[in-house]
Amino acid sequence: MRAATGLALVFGVAVFLTLAVGVRTASLAEIWNALVAFDPANATHVTIQSIRLPRLVAGLIAGASLGVAGTVMQALTRNPLADPGLLGVNSGASFAIVLGALIFGRSDAGLMSALAFPGAALASIAVFALGGGLRGETGHVRLALAGTALNALLLSLVSAIVMARSETLEVFRFWVAGSLSQASQRPLSAMALVTIVGIGLSLALAPRIEALSLGSALARGLGTRPARIQLGALAAVTLMTGAAVSVAGPIAFLGLMVPPLARRICGHALRLELIASAMLGASILLLADTAGRLVLAPAEVRVGIMTALIGTPVFIWIARRLKPGAAS
Amino acid sequence: MTRSIILAAVLLFAILLSLMIGQVMLSPATLWAGLSTGQGPAALTIRVLRGPGIATAVGAGAVLGLSGTIFQILLRNPLAAPDVMGFTSGAGLAVIFGVMAGLALPTPVLAALGGSAAAIVVAVLSLRRDGSQTTITLILVGLGVGFFTAAAGSFILTRLPPQEAAEAQRWLSGSLAARNWGHVAQVFGVGAVLTLVLVIQSRSLALLELGDDLAKGLGLRADRAKWGLSATGVLLAATGVAVAGPVPFVALMAGPLGARVTRARHPAARLAAAAVTGATITVLADLAARASIPGLQLPVGVMTGIFGAPYLLWLLAREIETGDL
Repeated sequence: MRAATGLALVFGVAVFLTLAVGVRTASLAEIWNALVAFDPANATHVTIQSIRLPRLVAGLIAGASLGVAGTVMQALTRNPLADPGLLGVNSGASFAIVLGALIFGRSDAGLMSALAFPGAALASIAVFALGGGLRGETGHVRLALAGTALNALLLSLVSAIVMARSETLEVFRFWVAGSLSQASQRPLSAMALVTIVGIGLSLALAPRIEALSLGSALARGLGTRPARIQLGALAAVTLMTGAAVSVAGPIAFLGLMVPPLARRICGHALRLELIASAMLGASILLLADTAGRLVLAPAEVRVGIMTALIGTPVFIWIARRLKPGAAS
Repeated sequence: MTRSIILAAVLLFAILLSLMIGQVMLSPATLWAGLSTGQGPAALTIRVLRGPGIATAVGAGAVLGLSGTIFQILLRNPLAAPDVMGFTSGAGLAVIFGVMAGLALPTPVLAALGGSAAAIVVAVLSLRRDGSQTTITLILVGLGVGFFTAAAGSFILTRLPPQEAAEAQRWLSGSLAARNWGHVAQVFGVGAVLTLVLVIQSRSLALLELGDDLAKGLGLRADRAKWGLSATGVLLAATGVAVAGPVPFVALMAGPLGARVTRARHPAARLAAAAVTGATITVLADLAARASIPGLQLPVGVMTGIFGAPYLLWLLAREIETGDL
């Protein structure tokens, strides 16, 4: 109970800071007024409505999606290094969107965003095939290296395409490292819907994923069909990752940091863990974004860089704790 | 022997091809005229436009190949390369930081400092509590340090104005744009000195390849030799980064590919093959980066990424079959 209160508090603070902090600092009362009694002549109200609110929504979508996707992937593979960013699923979505823009020319963001889903699906199938399959015996290290290689390939291709189109540095950065600064131009409401479907699917599958983690044979004995559950979980991961990349670009390490924290908060109950992951993911992403806006102000550090700076020490910490023989 | 000649011939062919192809195409005859007489349009292209970039590619590729092979032999793992373990991105970060902070240190010194710092951090962080160290942990921690330095590089780029940031971003992905003969002299000069040091150490490397116990039994002070070889390896990688940026995957690929073509077994022969192969890979990647999209020069690192990542994936797929990982 105390953990739940703490989590809700952190989440509330993260949301408040996203709306309040910036060039024009807003008080709680001003935020409230901007939302319920919007005054177009009030500059603070306009800032909140047109810049910070889309940013908040994008942060909620991307943060919750990536947090839950990370927890699902880690529960499925029992690999503490599984993360949609590290395994190249993010880059797959990013590459598909950029490639779509190259082939079909500049068209609306919503249509291009639809390409994120086949991109993410192909990348996750590729990385699990190359990393040794979805079964529990997947080597920790092998999967992480396969993801690194896939990331390197896809991000090199993204760089080549973006440079070939002579896009601005801002566009390049968005599709390589992720940012919330273009939130108002992204298809937020559609992707919010996709995220909700993805999280719902994960919650529905949670007990069966847990059964699967007892081992395939035992799970079959309990009446579950491993292949179906894996497929369903991959579909959920694809939906959530695709939505996150569509609104915020490829943000790595969030799905790595969130699951161990969620487990610490609610113990080993996957449904609760998933709910905690959604809140934690959104909170960490929003706090990292706010920190990125403040740390080198007036310049803005993209949130993808902030999550990488926070997440890499976590990665090293997990890598150190893997047992020497844990590769198999 | 014939296979070594083939390897060298491929490099020569790659260099000539690279000299001919570009925005202005040169025919073999024009190229020959330019090379032999030093006059005419071809001579200008060689001396000013393409020559320095290609020569830098040869030098940087060679030192990166040597560096990768040293670590692959020392750690007995084809994945243990300075680009996988974050040493090259550490060197790159130090160069960017030094330039931004206005430090009055030459680029190779900055790269050497950054590369060494990254290597020390990786070595310390991968130590277990009982003092032991496994290659797998070393590689994973190295990957993590590489991710961190890459993010830190992007972080400090945020402070630059867009134009300079774009330039620095290109350099950070590995770039041979706007090289001059000064860069060539630098990479070949420093590279030659380090290669000499490596030649002196090559007997230790050959002994260490047999295993620590056997090497000690044969009278080698194994720990000291390992530190010496690692230092040479880090400095070789830093020399490449100083002129070409942290080009990914060249150090990883050069050794195994070179050994495959020449069927070399002995460490000294593998090192020589890796140097030639690294140079060939970099020259060809640079050519692809210049010629694949008309009117646009991609950073060479984008091309080594596109070629190198499938190699890493293939390596993993093969290791799954043989059960080595």
